[in-house]
Amino acid sequence: MAVLEAIGLRKAYDGFVALHGLDLVIGAGEVFCLLGANGAGKTTTIQLFLGFIEPTAGSVRICGLDVAQHGLETKRYIAYIPENVMLYPNLTGLENLEFFNQLAGKGRVDRAQLRAVLGEAGLQAEAIDRPVRTYSKGMRQKVGVAMAIAKGARALLLDEPTSGLDPKGSNEFSRLLLTLRERGVAILMATHDLFRSKEVGTRVGIMKHGHLVASLATDELSHADLERIYLEHMHD
Amino acid sequence: MIRIIATKELRELARDGRFRLAGAVVLVLLITTLAFGWRLASSVAAEREAAQKAAEESWLGQGDKNPHVAAHYGKYVFKPLGTLAFLDPGVDPFLGVTLKLEAHKQNLAHDAPAQDATAIHRFGQLSAASVLQLFVPLLLIALGFAAWTGERERGTLRQLASTGVSMNHLLLGKAVGLGVALALVLVPAVGVALAMAAWLGAGADPGWLGRLGLMSVAYMLYFGAVAGIVFFASARAPSSRHALVALVGFWSVTSLVVPRVASDVAARVVTLPTPAGFAAQVRHSMENGLEGVAREERVNALSTALLARHGFEGAEAMMDEATLQGIELQAEAAFENEVLDHHVAQLAAALARQERVAQWAAVASPFLAMRAVSSSLAGTDHAHHRAFQVQAEAYRRTLVQTLNDDLARNAGDDVWKYKAGRALWEKAPVFAYTPPPVGWALAHQGVALATLAAWLLVAWALAWRSMRRIRVF
Repeated sequence: MAVLEAIGLRKAYDGFVALHGLDLVIGAGEVFCLLGANGAGKTTTIQLFLGFIEPTAGSVRICGLDVAQHGLETKRYIAYIPENVMLYPNLTGLENLEFFNQLAGKGRVDRAQLRAVLGEAGLQAEAIDRPVRTYSKGMRQKVGVAMAIAKGARALLLDEPTSGLDPKGSNEFSRLLLTLRERGVAILMATHDLFRSKEVGTRVGIMKHGHLVASLATDELSHADLERIYLEHMHD
Repeated sequence: MIRIIATKELRELARDGRFRLAGAVVLVLLITTLAFGWRLASSVAAEREAAQKAAEESWLGQGDKNPHVAAHYGKYVFKPLGTLAFLDPGVDPFLGVTLKLEAHKQNLAHDAPAQDATAIHRFGQLSAASVLQLFVPLLLIALGFAAWTGERERGTLRQLASTGVSMNHLLLGKAVGLGVALALVLVPAVGVALAMAAWLGAGADPGWLGRLGLMSVAYMLYFGAVAGIVFFASARAPSSRHALVALVGFWSVTSLVVPRVASDVAARVVTLPTPAGFAAQVRHSMENGLEGVAREERVNALSTALLARHGFEGAEAMMDEATLQGIELQAEAAFENEVLDHHVAQLAAALARQERVAQWAAVASPFLAMRAVSSSLAGTDHAHHRAFQVQAEAYRRTLVQTLNDDLARNAGDDVWKYKAGRALWEKAPVFAYTPPPVGWALAHQGVALATLAAWLLVAWALAWRSMRRIRVF
């Protein structure tokens, strides 16, 4: 079943076209990795799904609901993890999770349960009650994943979530994504990391100048193939 | 949802040392100004009470003399200090306190406290009201300028937006959080003020509790308006720095520049006579009559009318000298009252025109509107001072009439030989100033209150509109 859908999706900023008619369907348990140079339209696509910007033409749907018409409703199904998950520095990891989870309309959840979710997301127990200003980037990304888990998100929108993480952090993050994928979460991830894309992605798409120029299933692909195809497309 | 957001806002504020410090500074300022104001008020109230008692005693103990001579001797009255003057001294320190009531004259109150201000008085000028009117808005700016820009700059705004929370809830939650933070500072101060007012007692103003209640409501309108402006600026500004600069600019223009310009403009548009000039105008009319009617002519007309009223017309030859003298004095007093009423009404009209300029200026400055409402409810504005003058003048007329009546009734033929004694002085009523009721004060401040309410509505409409268009990143 289609969880994330883009239909003829186009975004233009006075004269400059960031996205030319993108068509994309991501089903439950699918991980679609968007590759491409900076400015290719990856972030634009994600922001269109989040409703932060409005499409010039075409539409985006989440669980069948048009984002333009059901902005707040569609957000019940999604979680967003940007390059840097930004939290309130003076609140602890647990307080941040609790706050965002309540905003997502989940009501009051038992704190022990939230601790368990943070643990599941890989946050060390001793960090849970520390103010977030003492966290590393990797720890904040884990709180972001915990937010997605606690919310029971059906789709995950990730914008270069692992850039700047050390290989261990990056590896932990990938494993979390695999867990979510197994639970049937639909994932759209913009990334520069070909290796991780092949690892966690079910499909990869290559974007260039606002066009989706290739869309490939990862299981038919080796790392070397992916890199070769990617570089071919990047050649002007 | 609103409670959740408000709790998070408060938790953030509570953990930020800067906000704790700012709140503590304002609270300390409030308590200190309240304490100084209260100390000053309790000693001033006692002084005036004692002075009034001494004046009554000197009136009673003036010895035997002709009643009209006693009317010239006169009587001093002192403006009692309102119960809430310690909260907001308003223009009281610049207005007279002592008023001499005597025949033929309507004096203006003199001996303004500001004339012999000492260091403690000067500190007293920084009243709790000025802390509320000037510093609390600064505190609101400090707590709220980054309400939206800060969320955007930290990147938490897009995180918030991705949760599906409605922006209306977010704005309301932030507003409630700010309100509770402010209440934490104000509620202790209000408690202290209540205790102080209760201690000062209702003697001077039985309606003080109602006035204090309404004052609190007015301040809530004011703070609400300022908070709306803060949220509006924070939602519109490209960065926290811009929001802060714009808000501090707004504060200084509306709280410092506009009041200054307004009072200059008011003084230029409507010139008031100096006390000496006013006295000279009155003297001129006293000697020459009003509007082309000579003094003699008018006094005679009034005298004839008085005779007619008492059924003595045409019978002057049969009346004793004292009765005629008494009636003559009454007629003169009536003429003088006409002259005084005329000039006082002109002065009041000029003052009212000045106040109208100030009211219009309040359209550009919520601070001015708040200052007017606050001092009115504290009973320390010009209108309350005039109410005191009016009551004192009415009392003066009764007093003079009592004395002249006695002269007409009892003096016999040798008018100026007649002497009355303590029995008559005791018959004269004692002056007691009754502060106007709360409703009267409110009616005078209708425009200012409407201005405050308009600021509140417009500020929140703008805050709401700009929040709906806010950029998430």
